Amino acid sequence: MAKMEKSVIKRVIKTVMPYKVLVLFSLVLTVLSVGLTLYIPVLAGRAIDSIKGFKDVDFESLYKCLIMISVCAVLAGVLQWIISVINNKIAYKTVRSLRNQAFAHLNKLPLSFIDSHPYGDILSRITADAEQFTDGLILGFSQFFNGIVTILITLVFMVMINPLISLVVVLLTPISLFIAKFIASRTHGFFKAQSDIRGEQTAYINEKIQNSKTVKAFSYEAESVKDFENINDKLRKVSVKAIFFSSLTNPSTRFVNNLIYAAVGLAGAFAVISNPDYLSVGGFVSFLAYANQYTKPFNEISGVLTELQNALVCAGRIFDLLDTEPVSSDEDLKELKNANGNVEINNVSFSYDKTKKLLQNLNLQVKSGQKIAIVGPTGCGKTTLINLLMRFYDVDSGSIKVEDFDIREITRKSLRESYGMVLQETWLKDATVKENIAYGNENATDEEIIAAAKAAHAHKFIKRLPNGYDTHISNSSGKLSVGERQLLCIARAMLSNPSMLILDEATSSIDTHTEQKVQSAFRRLMQNKTSFVVAHRLSTILDADLILVMKDGNIIEQGTHKELLKKGGFYTTLYNSQFAV
Amino acid sequence: MIKLLKYLKKYIFQAISAPALKVLEVCFELIVPLVVASIIDVGIKNSNTSYVLKMCGILAVLAVVGLGCTLIAQFFAAKTAVGFCADIRAALFKHISSLSYSSLDNLGASTLITRLTSDLNQVQTGVNLTLRLLLRSPFVVFGAMIMAFIVDSKAALVFVITIPLLAVIIFAVMLVSIPLYRSVQAALDKVVLKTGENLQGVRVIRAFCKENDEIAEFEEKNKLLNAMQIRVGKIAALLNPATIIIINIAISILIYKGALRVNIGELSAGEVVALYNYMSQILIELIKLANLIINVTKSVASGNRIQSVFEIEPEQNRGKIKTVDFSKPAVEFKNVSFSYNGEGENAIENINLKIGSGENVGIIGPTGSGKSTIVNLIPGFYNITSGEIKIFGENIENLDLDFLRSIIGIVPQKAVLFKGSIRDNMKISAPNISDEEIYTALKMAQAYEIVKGKEGELDFIIEQDGRNLSGGQKQRLCIARALVRKPKILILDDSSSALDFATDAALRKALSEISADTTVITISQRASAIRNCDNIFVLDEGVLLASGKDNELKDSCELYLEIRKTQFGEEGA
Repeated sequence: MAKMEKSVIKRVIKTVMPYKVLVLFSLVLTVLSVGLTLYIPVLAGRAIDSIKGFKDVDFESLYKCLIMISVCAVLAGVLQWIISVINNKIAYKTVRSLRNQAFAHLNKLPLSFIDSHPYGDILSRITADAEQFTDGLILGFSQFFNGIVTILITLVFMVMINPLISLVVVLLTPISLFIAKFIASRTHGFFKAQSDIRGEQTAYINEKIQNSKTVKAFSYEAESVKDFENINDKLRKVSVKAIFFSSLTNPSTRFVNNLIYAAVGLAGAFAVISNPDYLSVGGFVSFLAYANQYTKPFNEISGVLTELQNALVCAGRIFDLLDTEPVSSDEDLKELKNANGNVEINNVSFSYDKTKKLLQNLNLQVKSGQKIAIVGPTGCGKTTLINLLMRFYDVDSGSIKVEDFDIREITRKSLRESYGMVLQETWLKDATVKENIAYGNENATDEEIIAAAKAAHAHKFIKRLPNGYDTHISNSSGKLSVGERQLLCIARAMLSNPSMLILDEATSSIDTHTEQKVQSAFRRLMQNKTSFVVAHRLSTILDADLILVMKDGNIIEQGTHKELLKKGGFYTTLYNSQFAV
Repeated sequence: MIKLLKYLKKYIFQAISAPALKVLEVCFELIVPLVVASIIDVGIKNSNTSYVLKMCGILAVLAVVGLGCTLIAQFFAAKTAVGFCADIRAALFKHISSLSYSSLDNLGASTLITRLTSDLNQVQTGVNLTLRLLLRSPFVVFGAMIMAFIVDSKAALVFVITIPLLAVIIFAVMLVSIPLYRSVQAALDKVVLKTGENLQGVRVIRAFCKENDEIAEFEEKNKLLNAMQIRVGKIAALLNPATIIIINIAISILIYKGALRVNIGELSAGEVVALYNYMSQILIELIKLANLIINVTKSVASGNRIQSVFEIEPEQNRGKIKTVDFSKPAVEFKNVSFSYNGEGENAIENINLKIGSGENVGIIGPTGSGKSTIVNLIPGFYNITSGEIKIFGENIENLDLDFLRSIIGIVPQKAVLFKGSIRDNMKISAPNISDEEIYTALKMAQAYEIVKGKEGELDFIIEQDGRNLSGGQKQRLCIARALVRKPKILILDDSSSALDFATDAALRKALSEISADTTVITISQRASAIRNCDNIFVLDEGVLLASGKDNELKDSCELYLEIRKTQFGEEGA
């Protein structure tokens, strides 16, 4: 644990390094500002020393001291503001670049990582953890460093006034640190329990709020509120404990500090009584002010330490994400140019979970311009085949070739650009309808966008939206039905004008009537181009050049519709079932 | 934020005691400078060591009593803050559950989730700190001022000028920064949204090779957030320096005035020290306060975000009728028009249809024709724009919503199951159902095999979002869930899209044998799914085109004929 923390600290320092000039500047200014702030009690002490009593006031030195106090205060104030601004800048910019890195890295991570990690977890690393880390950095820069400088400079001033009484302060202060540490170690368990229950609650909230329509449809609101309240009560109990015990630190250390204050008062007063030359009343007053100043940063540091620890944990989580192995670099690889659609699958085996076999020894030759249909029951490996064609996943053994290039020997970008893809899950960006359709072809004109929408039979419903093509849509908004979203995805793919096409249940939520019109548009688009179509609805694939019937990761039958029907095998059963009632 | 304070009522005793105890602690602290003054003026002046000893003893006792007060105060504060927020969280969750479909459409899930989690945590921190410190600070400030007046009323006038000046600065900074913090939060929302979107759309983004554009967009949003944070930081950072400058100038003036009064013999040196100490105490307290205010400002911004959710009107339950005559027509639409947010074109236009009790009807039409809209209107999820809907002869507006929904079993397009056992998921629909009844429903939904194949059968735990089930399995379990409540109206909203044809056919056969008093409304893209229905409604672009039996429509409705053809081929016609 400690070791991990150390490496995280090193890394944090490295992340802040680009701002080392600013950091240095901030440190220098902090020393200056703290020095000035601490010099003020000395001046005040001197000012008081010049007030001896009735008709015995040294006004000249008094004026001097008072003007100095004002000047120091103004300087210290201005410096403090500059320091805060610099510290904010360092912290926010560091986190901003860290966030940018994390997001960019996310776009390079293999799909196997993203598929196997809960979205919420990755999301919270880039958002919540980064926030927490920012707070920690600012706190670290301002309070932590400020505290240490204050302690050191105060110590110097105190020793300058009176070394002996300083010793009293120095010896007693660690007590408050011990107490702080003792309390922190006790509260750790409560905090852990709190964040665990909080996680449980967040999961519940996520599930029920995201699907609140389903909850309402079954009038399940009352039950779900009851469940929620149960978790909420658990959280309430543990939170009270965590917060109370952690809030003990401050009063306890303050208590110790107050005792130190009394001790200094005692020692100081005795010193003044025994020898006024050794310690003046003004010196005594400054001393008391310092005793207060000196112990305060200890208080703050002990409070900040828990925050910092938390920030380090968060930073560690972001670094973990950044350390996840990205997909292999393909910068040196060749570009796939002018793909015609010749695809060759040789002896491919693949599985997600290496203990469970999925695709085994798959072989397939596809010539340019062919329409390949893939049918079979759920879980037979249809979608997996597409994951491999697009190189979302790499094959375990065997090879996939496009135009005689092994797809591992060409850049992913050039491979994927030669495909157009429409998936069953209809992802749309948080943007306007127009921007969504033009997603794969930024330079498309409005006319081209509308033409694509018309070809995908989306034009009619788009026009019915509140702002037509400029209507803002998002992934979770209820403005569009699943079928409508699918049509938009199809328009998007059509506009990108790829040389090969992959349709994975692309029309599953579209009615057969519209579907057939869309199909004919696709057919025009795909003239002389290769397409891969996965479909439950066999009506959409009757004209395929080759139908692959898959079951349990193997191709069990292949041929044209007529050939397969003649065979009277698994395909025939599938085909006939759609007419049965 | 202010309206949220009603949730504080339950904790009123603790909420008042905590700051009160803090104030008590402050009183003890305020005595300290007086004690120190007397150490100087009496103890040191007369070299009275036993007096000094006694006074230092008093300092120690004050420390102990102060500790006692604080500990109790901290406990009350923690209890209040946590309790207050737990109550708000429960209320907010309940409130969100009561929102109508249109409100949920407008808000979106992600912002509701942040409000229930991070915003509320921010409020909790704010309330806790407020109770512990926020009242303490003004009290120290005013207490110090009063003590200064006790020491010397003329010199204390400096306090009277300084304190309002500081108050004005603090409020000005707060006033400016609260809206800025709100926009920081909004900018953060956008970063969160962008990240979530990227995760969900990873396949599409990569397929279109748009990674770099997405990264650029993210960096743009991140930059905006960054600029906002730095801007509000600059303003918030003014508090501390301003306090230091003003207080220290005030100290200078104070010492000067004190010096003048000492010179004419109206004040002792020790009393000047006391005045100085009070001013210093104000300084320390105000610096703490300044840091606190930044936190509280954030909490208020979060509190306002929470309150704005509370301000959204919950779904109105206008009707009270809880009994209907089930022999009357199950659903009747009279001239019904509806548009989703009152703007844009109507999703359905002037629809008239009648579904008899126990009938088995189908609704078919191209994508975007308004089929799902009709389904959403039957359980009263949205309020119609014009026209009238009758359910079993009663106007839907007169029906109690819970009653209305309890007689309807709906299978939504998107198959949603919750984390928990299969049994728990079934009980969502019918809380008192027996295992036997569940199995009957599962068999009808063609889901019996799924459950039989799982370890623990009904006790099999479905993961969040049903991740450990396939799309087809989820759909069938959703159908079973709607069946277990033995609905009077069963609505299947395109709920077999993930089923292969063989399973779909078996399902339809099973459903056709459902009890005679259940009205079944099937919405489908597949002509085969509805062609045996008693009555078929054909929709196109929000308008009811035709209705009738399969063989009637085949001859009279061109669109229906086309849909049939595309599915069955020419021979189907």
